[in-house]
Amino acid sequence: MPNRIGDAAAVPGSPISVHDRSDPDLVAAAARGNVDAFAELSRRYRDTYSRFAVRMVGDRDEAEDVMQSAFIRAYRAMDQCRDPNRFGAWLYQIVANECRSWVIRRNRRGRRIVRDEIQLRDAPAVLSGDGDETLEDVQYALQQLDADQREAFLMKHVEQLSYEEMAEITGDGISALKMRVKRACARLRLLLEEVHDA
Amino acid sequence: MPERPRDPDDLFAERVARVLGRPESFGDDFETSLVAAIRADRPIRFRLVPRARRFSRAWWKTPASIRISPIAATLLLAAGVAALAVVGTLQSNRRGVTDPYSVATTAPVHDTVTLVRFVFVGRAKSVSLVGDFNRWGAEPVPLIGANGVWTASIPLPNGRHEYAFIVDGAHWTLDPLAPSSSDEFDTKSSIVTVGT
Repeated sequence: MPNRIGDAAAVPGSPISVHDRSDPDLVAAAARGNVDAFAELSRRYRDTYSRFAVRMVGDRDEAEDVMQSAFIRAYRAMDQCRDPNRFGAWLYQIVANECRSWVIRRNRRGRRIVRDEIQLRDAPAVLSGDGDETLEDVQYALQQLDADQREAFLMKHVEQLSYEEMAEITGDGISALKMRVKRACARLRLLLEEVHDA
Repeated sequence: MPERPRDPDDLFAERVARVLGRPESFGDDFETSLVAAIRADRPIRFRLVPRARRFSRAWWKTPASIRISPIAATLLLAAGVAALAVVGTLQSNRRGVTDPYSVATTAPVHDTVTLVRFVFVGRAKSVSLVGDFNRWGAEPVPLIGANGVWTASIPLPNGRHEYAFIVDGAHWTLDPLAPSSSDEFDTKSSIVTVGT
């Protein structure tokens, strides 16, 4: 089964399904306005980023909206994808930016002010630290982090990216990313472990 | 040789990550809606918040003159007002962040930054500056106060920036001398435009 346009040209009448095309071929086709080619790219990659989006946004339906917005942006900027062989990484940048912006704007709406560790320490713990946290409880704690820390923690510990990969996606320095992960862990721990004895 | 105990932070992170690592996926309706939205050329719902840019360390070494706008000088005599003054233009060597996606959606990046002085006049125990340039409070800029006059100077690139003052840690306060805008959630902020 041919998987490149060139191969198809040598086999007249042989239809090529979008499912069999390589990423670079689909990127090129989408950049020329082929929506079906982009839809195939979406099918290949959306599950890769859906968990990240749901955890960042905190709500599945909202996350799906945010992912849709991100993918629409990606389609409209397809000619900016400089390395079609790394379409996935390029798309991840867009998804991460969209999720992060959504979080920041939602926090602005609530006039949420990120305070220092002292205020966080005084906040009630979500539950006791018995190691049996539910997804809802952990998700709640995650929502208390600011966008940068939340993103860094998810990329590092949930999506298992290296700091180099995170730097490429976020455009931030590795030192800053390490600090964000460290602070995110500290904040999550405060929220998920027992409060100090009275 | 006894096994080296693992870092408690790593163990904690692993425990949390196990919970958060449960798969999530959207159905094939995702592509159906996506294709329909693209073909209908629907507007993108959210406006992006740009990431904070990194500046060269050299910017602070360049001396800058200070000038106060006439309006700010007059209003500094009144109580409970805030004023904004542009103090100088510095050249900086900015390390650009390669982001092919942002090229499509933002204005071109320039190599000029302006030191902008924010002034708040009023009675308060603390005043902080938050805006799109510091992720709206992720790293609030504390203003230094003396005799009811609070100031802070920060470098900003050319362009439009949104900001607000946080007074006494709780009161979201706009700059009465600056234009304001509301986002789609009706949250108001003040606007400063730097450069041309």
